[in-house]
Amino acid sequence: MAETKGNRPTYATDFITTDIEKVTFFGNVHIDNMMTTLLAMGNELWVQRKRQHILEALLAEKGVKPEAIEKYVATPAQEQAWAKERDVLVARLWSHHDKNTGEYNFASDWNGK
Amino acid sequence: MSQLFNRRSMMGMAGGALSAASVLSSSHAHAKLKNDFEPRGGDGIWERLPSLNLEAYDEMSTSTRKWVNGALARAAQQRANELMVKNGMKPDQQISFEDASKLLSNDPIIAMRASSWQRLQWHMWQELKREFYDNYDAYMSEMEATDKTGPGTLELNPGIEPEYTKHEIHMQPGGYTGDPFAGHLYLYGTANFYVGQNYQDQGHAALAAAVPVPADGKVRRILDAGCSCGQQVVALKRRFPDAEVWGVDIGAPMVRYAHMRAVDNGVDVNFRHALAEKTGFPDGYFDIVTSYILHHEVTEQATYEIIRETSRVLRPGGVYFPVDVYTMPSRRVLDGTPMRRIQDWITSRWNHERWWYDYQRSDFLGEMQRSGFALNMDGPEASAYAVNLSQARARQTSGRPQALGDMSGQGGQKNIMGTKI
Repeated sequence: MAETKGNRPTYATDFITTDIEKVTFFGNVHIDNMMTTLLAMGNELWVQRKRQHILEALLAEKGVKPEAIEKYVATPAQEQAWAKERDVLVARLWSHHDKNTGEYNFASDWNGK
Repeated sequence: MSQLFNRRSMMGMAGGALSAASVLSSSHAHAKLKNDFEPRGGDGIWERLPSLNLEAYDEMSTSTRKWVNGALARAAQQRANELMVKNGMKPDQQISFEDASKLLSNDPIIAMRASSWQRLQWHMWQELKREFYDNYDAYMSEMEATDKTGPGTLELNPGIEPEYTKHEIHMQPGGYTGDPFAGHLYLYGTANFYVGQNYQDQGHAALAAAVPVPADGKVRRILDAGCSCGQQVVALKRRFPDAEVWGVDIGAPMVRYAHMRAVDNGVDVNFRHALAEKTGFPDGYFDIVTSYILHHEVTEQATYEIIRETSRVLRPGGVYFPVDVYTMPSRRVLDGTPMRRIQDWITSRWNHERWWYDYQRSDFLGEMQRSGFALNMDGPEASAYAVNLSQARARQTSGRPQALGDMSGQGGQKNIMGTKI
């Protein structure tokens, strides 16, 4: 069924779900799963780099020097919030490892098409 | 029961009395509409992804896709060639899927290409979906606010979707019909697929520029069949500002989004939630019908029905310009080289192109002839990867090479077209 929140009309139908997450191309599902992890990590890395580029450019415009960033001490509330954010990141990077069973290889269902 | 929003009467339209449309240029900045959810603004027709994080995520995903489609794809092809030679065969020898699978599937570079491409695609969808569901109410309110406003019209017909349309094509969550944000997902997902070269719908503009006009030069009404999120419809209106332009698609969330995007950009076009094989328009209503990468998304039977329906709604002398993977005669060679065998299967099964083989085996040209079209095999140049056309034009203009990956560099190729007899 289509995912909805509340009673607003969505005009979405029920649909036939795929099982594409269950394939292994390497013959070992853990390697395929690692592929997703690494792709996600690469993306996350660039997100952070880009934000940092923007931030440091803005700070430089305001006269904040790089040394001030190096020496910054976080508050306990900041530490707590950042730890929570890291938990979300861990789930994003690793959650697919507990779902993909690798029960199909890539040629499953070929049946002489 | 049809839900009709801001729609002119069919009788009035069929009478042909159409007002000239107001079409804004591509440099138009987004209008500020009621409930407009546009936290980071737009650039031309492109509405920026709503968070810097997601935008950067998408950028990296796009860059990775270029590498996967380019250097990695070439390396995989090279490995396939080497393995063929090593086993006493020519690289382009035709072999069965079973033999190709046995020969190639254990190679790490070929596996890397397949796995990284597939995982990248799947992961992209999940990240986009997360964003839209995290801001569910804002996005829904935005669509609701434009459902009933113009310019242009939106018609929704809940419950008309046949079973074959309900698959998660391209792994898109919910497919074309089953997710409230199917249009949002499709636009941003395909922007990634087009490796960042279609933010201003350049590929669709190039395709619209290629569309042939009837011999008598009369273009009053145009239909884009299977219009998804409406990019081609908008591009056609920009080329033919005085024409009445329609898009139909079986994905109701698709046409809702298409309408909203057109309204947001002040483009007067019309969208109807309908099957391309059952559009509901009167006989002979259109001068031109287009379809872009539609036929490989439908069953063989549906393809035949769409061709017949297209013939019905075209007036004598009207033209049909279908652009898809094999509508360029030079590409209509279903070769059985090993990588092609493998890639076709991966595309069909693991990118969930559910009807890929239906399309391959269909007698497309035969059905066009049987349906009353005079075929021209040497029509305007087109491409099933639309940005190849816009990039080829950019190369002609600037003289600079462009790098898009393994689908690039082809430019356009002569496409078929049919004239209604």
